Amino acid sequence: MSAEQDILQELAGRDYEFGFETQIEMDIAPPGLNEDIIRFISAKKQEPEWLLEWRLKGFQLFQKLSMPTWQNFKLPEVDFQGVSYYAAPKNQVKYNSLDEVDPELLATFAKLGIPLEEQKMLSGVAVDAVFDSISVATTFKAQLHELGIIFCSFGEAVQEHPELVKKYLGSVVPQADNIYAALNSAVFSDGSFVYIPKGVRCPMELSTYFRINAKNTGQFERTLIIADEGSYVSYLEGCTAPMRDENQLHAAVVELIALDDSEIKYSTVQNWYPGDADGKGGIYNFVTKRGICKGKNSKISWTQVETGSAITWKYPGVILQGDNSIGEFYSVAVTSKRQVADTGTKMVHIGKNTKSRIISKGISAIHGQNTYRGLVKVGPNATNARNFTQCDSLLIGDRCGAHTFPYIESKNNTAMVEHEATTSKIGEDQVFYLNQRGIDNEQAVNMIVNGYAKEVLNQLPMEFAVEAQKLLSITLEGSVG
Amino acid sequence: MLNIKNLHAAVEGNAILKGINLNVKAGEVHAIMGPNGSGKSSLASVLAGREAYEVTEGSVDFDGKDLLDMSPEVRAREGLFLAFQYPVEIPGVSNINFLKTAVNEVRAYHGQPPMQAKAFLDMLKSKQKLMEFDANLMNRSLNEGFSGGEKKRNDIFQMAMLEPKLAIMDETDSGLDIDALRIVSAGVNKLRGKDNAFIIITHYQRLLEYIVPDFVHVLYNGRIVKSGTKELALELEEKGYDWLKEDIRLEEPVQ
Amino acid sequence: MTTTTSNTNISFAETLPALFTAQFGNSGWPGRKTALERFQALGGIPTVKTEDWKYTNVVPFFKNGLSIALPETPAITAQQLEATGLLLPDTYRLVLVNGVLQSALSILPPATQVTVARLSEAASQPAYAQYFNKSKKLEEHHFAQLNTALFNDGLFIEVKAKAQVEQPIHIIHLYHNNGNLLVNPRHLWVAQEGSEAKLIESAAAVGTTGTVLVNSVAEAVVTERAQLSHYQLQTGGAGLRFINQTLVEQMGKSLYNNYTFTLSESDLVRNNLNISLDAERTETHLYGFYIAAGSQLVDNHSSVDHRMPHCESNELYRGVMMDKATGVFNGKIFVHEDAQKTNAFQQNNNLVISPSASIYTKPQLEIYADDVKCSHGTTIGQVSEDALFYLKARGIGDAEARNMLVKAFAFDVTAQVKIPAVRKQVEQIASRYLSVATNN
Repeated sequence: MSAEQDILQELAGRDYEFGFETQIEMDIAPPGLNEDIIRFISAKKQEPEWLLEWRLKGFQLFQKLSMPTWQNFKLPEVDFQGVSYYAAPKNQVKYNSLDEVDPELLATFAKLGIPLEEQKMLSGVAVDAVFDSISVATTFKAQLHELGIIFCSFGEAVQEHPELVKKYLGSVVPQADNIYAALNSAVFSDGSFVYIPKGVRCPMELSTYFRINAKNTGQFERTLIIADEGSYVSYLEGCTAPMRDENQLHAAVVELIALDDSEIKYSTVQNWYPGDADGKGGIYNFVTKRGICKGKNSKISWTQVETGSAITWKYPGVILQGDNSIGEFYSVAVTSKRQVADTGTKMVHIGKNTKSRIISKGISAIHGQNTYRGLVKVGPNATNARNFTQCDSLLIGDRCGAHTFPYIESKNNTAMVEHEATTSKIGEDQVFYLNQRGIDNEQAVNMIVNGYAKEVLNQLPMEFAVEAQKLLSITLEGSVG
Repeated sequence: MLNIKNLHAAVEGNAILKGINLNVKAGEVHAIMGPNGSGKSSLASVLAGREAYEVTEGSVDFDGKDLLDMSPEVRAREGLFLAFQYPVEIPGVSNINFLKTAVNEVRAYHGQPPMQAKAFLDMLKSKQKLMEFDANLMNRSLNEGFSGGEKKRNDIFQMAMLEPKLAIMDETDSGLDIDALRIVSAGVNKLRGKDNAFIIITHYQRLLEYIVPDFVHVLYNGRIVKSGTKELALELEEKGYDWLKEDIRLEEPVQ
Repeated sequence: MTTTTSNTNISFAETLPALFTAQFGNSGWPGRKTALERFQALGGIPTVKTEDWKYTNVVPFFKNGLSIALPETPAITAQQLEATGLLLPDTYRLVLVNGVLQSALSILPPATQVTVARLSEAASQPAYAQYFNKSKKLEEHHFAQLNTALFNDGLFIEVKAKAQVEQPIHIIHLYHNNGNLLVNPRHLWVAQEGSEAKLIESAAAVGTTGTVLVNSVAEAVVTERAQLSHYQLQTGGAGLRFINQTLVEQMGKSLYNNYTFTLSESDLVRNNLNISLDAERTETHLYGFYIAAGSQLVDNHSSVDHRMPHCESNELYRGVMMDKATGVFNGKIFVHEDAQKTNAFQQNNNLVISPSASIYTKPQLEIYADDVKCSHGTTIGQVSEDALFYLKARGIGDAEARNMLVKAFAFDVTAQVKIPAVRKQVEQIASRYLSVATNN
């Protein structure tokens, strides 16, 4: 048996490190999806009438829309009526300090290696911890408040900044964009809201850890980030979820709005439960993420490291509306065991002198299936639009797959678009070279994969880059690295 | 240190080594010469444990242990170092991180704790100086974008860091200009000692002017057909390999 | 007799069953009926909602009361043939009118090397029984099914085992009609073991007043160690529209080269080129060059299915989009689970030289084996400003410099042509189009 197969077997046999379930009393809505549930959610959250109407409209659209058929994998049947659409930790209190937070919850984060306190003290990261659907701890609020930065739960924003929410909600991802976006707009639970005022450079990385917890609770976060003129913000989203046998649906919507001369950097490390070696269990991660460079000279940059979920299905995109605006997409997606990732980006060039850059690194191991699917669209008025795309796929083991489906559409004769893609096996010569220097197969593969993904990992803020490397190692641990 | 007995090996069913016998003792430098396709690089690959090479017969004893029974990384940790004919590029893996990992793996194998960052850096610096290795290359990705000469020098530098018992240099001189050849050879000479040994595989006598061998072997058609001292190398340089073929009346060379 | 729908606004699909019955009745080869049912099951004429037809709307081309019954074949004279400007020296020549072989105008290759017959008269040939209507991808193509339901005639060519056919076989497709005709030529070409041959296809309209929509299917089988070079010279006139299906199956150690040059005035050219590599150690080269001008739509779809190990495929397509034209490139490399040691490369480069032209390109890799080297690349752009400046700095005027660069872009592909007369003809036609474009 070859060394590679040893690695693969070991990888397949590796258990999900973060699989445990926190026992906290939950306030859970009965499973099922109907207008009453939506009214229940809205009432629980004490929402204004307009938002309830908006949710109900989303529900109507959801009923009309059908499932996509173009994907490159078998779409599992999702029983929308079997999902509970509301779960919140009981005894909702606002905490002034972390000491008041349920110790078991804090212990959960500690197990994940992201202790709030340590993060707070050591890294200067403001952490808005979303435990299931509701924010329970928000830090650094005062400091941000001084700068006029709003960083709060979505629910809180609805209460306190309804004018901003009303203006931008659904403005980038219309409710009818796709069936899961419609579903989210009907039943979204909570999420994050960020507003950076004119000319303000947010002094710290804003970070939220999402975590799916209670059984049978779908997660429907809604995130809205607005960077006003001349502002800058870097936002980090990280995820881990406990082990579970039933499949769980996650259908978030993230909307980013960048006004003139502003910049939004959005980074994700996704490590939800991928299911076991036979493909049992695991999260369905069906997310709609999109940003709009609304103003001139604005920039939106997506960076993602996708290592988890049974199925990851998302295309964080940028609408380049403002002249001279820039969109970027950096992605590492790893699929192992029976995981499926169908991910990529959409860069829509509308304004003049708009630029986009796409770097995608796919890694498939064991039976993993990894697809890059992307769209680069240059409209007739997008004079001097530029795009560069590089998609690379790395294969580890002879039963995995790597697929590349780029759509490139240009209606402007001054546009320049370049797309390159390669697919190859992990270099046997490279592994041998490292072996010959005393490094074993698993570590060799790990090093090679991390090197391969470096261009993307380099885009992450320091703390995240380290975590991302660890995740690559765990996922490929055994897998490659 | 190294005792090769009747070693036969094949690649995809084609016999490529047909009974090699070689004994290398500590403190010795052996040169292996021979025409293209004679099996020189194959011998290096078999000793280092490249997967494509299948040993069909014979044994290799390395300091009392069965070398052929070890995985490539264990051979490396036991102190067998291969300077590659074509060092591989590994994008994104920094030279320094790679070396640190390798050094600590070897240490762990011998029950030693990992080197502290400071000690490692000190060692790095002193070896850089010894080997005249450009410090700027340290922070770049492993061999990526290196010139042919830089790659070879990087390999010799790694050898200095890993301090192997037995170094096999597979056509290290190929593609080197005269200056690089001098630097690489000087490096090797500095590393020579009574406890380690070298096998220098080369096509030309040129390298042996700089690294003077104790023994010279001629490999032809998968066998060592002639052994001698450094004078043999000069003779080969003068006469080429053809006279050997006639003299020894060997079969046709393998592909 | 022509069967024409009376109401020109009624879509073709709706009238198809009636047309079919009128033409073929309910008897005859049952494969027609099966194909018609399959065509309808696929949804009939595809719309832009069908992924493979996303950028190519063919629905309008099926609206003008298309007839499927062939008119009587007019007597085409040697002068008329000469006047097409398509003739090539030193070739065998097979002339077809509306898909029917015209022996009088043809120069047949020696029967010892090549069997040539009307498809409608080839049923007794063993190769026909073995290969006709067997290509794997037929099932997936709407228009291949439509062709199978409606085909009238075509060309059967069998290159005999070990035959080395020196001269190229030039197939000239002439089309003629006085109304709007849908013609469905159907061909089967078999290169038997160890043979070597070159096929060149050209097309032209002769004495046509209406339009002819040509929906052709060519099945080509390249058996063990055979070598087939296939040139598709699409230089037809304004009255012709094309939907071509070329389905190639390659057996062990075979070589297939395809050259597709689209330099025509047709409103619509859609090529579907499917290569299936069914055995080990095959080699495939696909070269394409297309110019889309006026309000033309030129669409090249290709797929290469690597089903077995140790096969190599290579694809280079280039296009120039001008005026209000639309270019589409869609190329897929599919590497099946067992196709280890596959080398597959694909490159598509596009020059867009006028503000209202569009290009849609979708190169695709779908890979289920790990020990492979596959890549694709695509670019959309203009001539290099640096190169332009360099030429100008040497005293060459702007228009001339652009012209030189566009031609250089095109001739990288045409330089792959191995038959000098073909290369000359293609480059002359390309130059004519490109000079117009760059001097505007």
